[in-house]
Amino acid sequence: MSVVASKNDTSAKWLEEFESTSANRLGAANGAVLEKQKKAITEFAESGIPDKKVEDYKYTNIRLYLNDEFSAKGIAGKLQQSHVKRLLFGGHATIVMVNGRFVKELSVLNNLPREVVVKNLFTTLKEGAAPAGVKFNELFEDSTNPLVLLNTALSQDGISITVPPGYNCVGPIHLLNISTGESKVLFNPRNVIRVGEGASFTLIETYNSFKLDEKIFTNSVTEIVVEKDATLNNYILQNEDSKASQSNVHQVSVGTNGKFNSVVVSLDGTMVRNDLNVAINGKNAEIHMHGLFAVKNGRHIDNHSLVQHNVPNCFSNELYKGIIEDGGTGVFNGKIFVKQDAQKTNAYQSNKNILLGDNSTMNTKPQLEIYADDVKCSHGTTTGRLDEDALFYLRSRGLNEGLARKVLLGAFAAQISDTINDDAFRRHVEQKIHDHIA
Amino acid sequence: MLEIKNLKVSVEGKEILKGLNLKINKGEVHAIMGPNGAGKSTLASVIAGKEDYVVTEGSILFNGKNILELSPDERAKEGIFLAFQYPIEIPGVSTINFLKTAVNEIRAYRGMEPMEAKDFLAMLKAKQKLVQIDTNLTGRSVNEGFSGGEKKRNEIFQMAMLEPTLGVLDETDSGLDIDALRIVADGVNKLRGKENAFMVITHYQRLLEYIVPDFVHVLFDGRIVKSGTKQLALELEEKGYDWIKKEVSEIA
Repeated sequence: MSVVASKNDTSAKWLEEFESTSANRLGAANGAVLEKQKKAITEFAESGIPDKKVEDYKYTNIRLYLNDEFSAKGIAGKLQQSHVKRLLFGGHATIVMVNGRFVKELSVLNNLPREVVVKNLFTTLKEGAAPAGVKFNELFEDSTNPLVLLNTALSQDGISITVPPGYNCVGPIHLLNISTGESKVLFNPRNVIRVGEGASFTLIETYNSFKLDEKIFTNSVTEIVVEKDATLNNYILQNEDSKASQSNVHQVSVGTNGKFNSVVVSLDGTMVRNDLNVAINGKNAEIHMHGLFAVKNGRHIDNHSLVQHNVPNCFSNELYKGIIEDGGTGVFNGKIFVKQDAQKTNAYQSNKNILLGDNSTMNTKPQLEIYADDVKCSHGTTTGRLDEDALFYLRSRGLNEGLARKVLLGAFAAQISDTINDDAFRRHVEQKIHDHIA
Repeated sequence: MLEIKNLKVSVEGKEILKGLNLKINKGEVHAIMGPNGAGKSTLASVIAGKEDYVVTEGSILFNGKNILELSPDERAKEGIFLAFQYPIEIPGVSTINFLKTAVNEIRAYRGMEPMEAKDFLAMLKAKQKLVQIDTNLTGRSVNEGFSGGEKKRNEIFQMAMLEPTLGVLDETDSGLDIDALRIVADGVNKLRGKENAFMVITHYQRLLEYIVPDFVHVLFDGRIVKSGTKQLALELEEKGYDWIKKEVSEIA
């Protein structure tokens, strides 16, 4: 293997790790994947870990959370069934990932439908063709995102889920991620989800930590393909602890008549950066994206989204809401891109934020880039305080100030959690939100 | 029950109430009338505890307690209810859940157990009937998308649910057509009793045809300048406020 020269002081460390982890990386499973990993590390070396000079990371300097003290070698977490139990809900089939690795003993698989193929990605890639349709890095051929490149290069495992054509998967699958840490670690989990033609599926992802002794950084990348006439509900709850940071990229491709419904609820973790990129590649597709982020003192939550309308007659609607406590920082950057061919596009985007303290910060940037002339598009953003008149109204009915605030914030948040159509998960999320804004 | 002495109140440095005196006993209905800008709504807001108002002098005693030291929710728990002139729309907050919370907060303050769900529902039904409010409205978010009349009716409904000993109605008649006015007034009349009292703030004598007051007070330039019986309201209706203003300026 040729050694790639580092042009950047934040990439040298990762070039070394690339060499020293070669036996464990996904490339060890499959030659074609190895080539993609080599290409990715070379491209990563050009940029290194992004800081504020990179436009897409203007408000989120990743170098503050990920530096040379971290290792990508990976550690196996020592978790018991009892540690996982409190994170379960609804009796759903649950795939447990500890530090980015599938742990079968902790997973709940007895109610997993036989039709749905769930495997760890390493095994899937090693087996080559099976299951049909799982393609590593298919959606990122042209990506220049440094964190995606880093994940592609260093990823050791993740999960692949394939829902066969025409299969209506009634019960959701819960992908339960837990990070544990005795030392500073960078995890690079990689997931590949494919919902076949005419199939429907609900994927719930939760991100949790367990007694972190040291800081960790999860650099997660998920590739999702929603084929023709297929539906995917993708629900995410991020609730890690104060030592955990994460970058979480979801790259989604939606086909003709496809439906993609996303709800992202981000409650805790030192730093959370989400990139939700949806490419609409088939006509009459319908996209709904909802997000709630509640940022506590000293925390930083950044939601980036991109909706690419590549073809005509599609609909997309995005609503993200933020609650920023004193000392917290929120970022929203939403872009709608409408290609010249994408006539009759309906695309809407809204970001609403409540600042709870004098030292709450919110950076918001809605963007529309439209090259078609027959479209309906709108975007808007509001940032303000909790409505004083509404607070007084509730207090005048006997609710003390804390309770009145909680009722109003709960209602603000409920507009997002109400869009989750799995009852057990919605109740779980409502409870977490309730605890969080106490 | 309520005793206001020499109350002086400023908003943003401007004195609105300039030494107001008023005493309300239980079982009584007092009407407060007066021209625009006299300080009627300020009086209602100060009693309820709105924080934008600065009390510079005087006192408000409610059942012997100085309520100026209490927060708005504590005043509600003591038994004061303000029916807002402009009720607030609160999207996402269900009227029923909100009222259940309010009822139980008030009960807890008084050392009572939370209400059983079935008892609460029975009470809800009874009060809905009492004030003739559509269950469609109470099933929705608080005041969201309600018409002016529906909002006012919802205020009376909430008052019926919370069973205050002092109900302060801030221009509840404004924006109501005659049928809605009658329903609202009817609701208040049904709630009247020996143990409670009402302060009815209004511009017009019209409401007082339905809610017949025991006393009528004219509030002008931050003071109560004239008090009388319901006859006074009729006189005001006939002559307007100019003669009051004249009387006041002559005394001054």
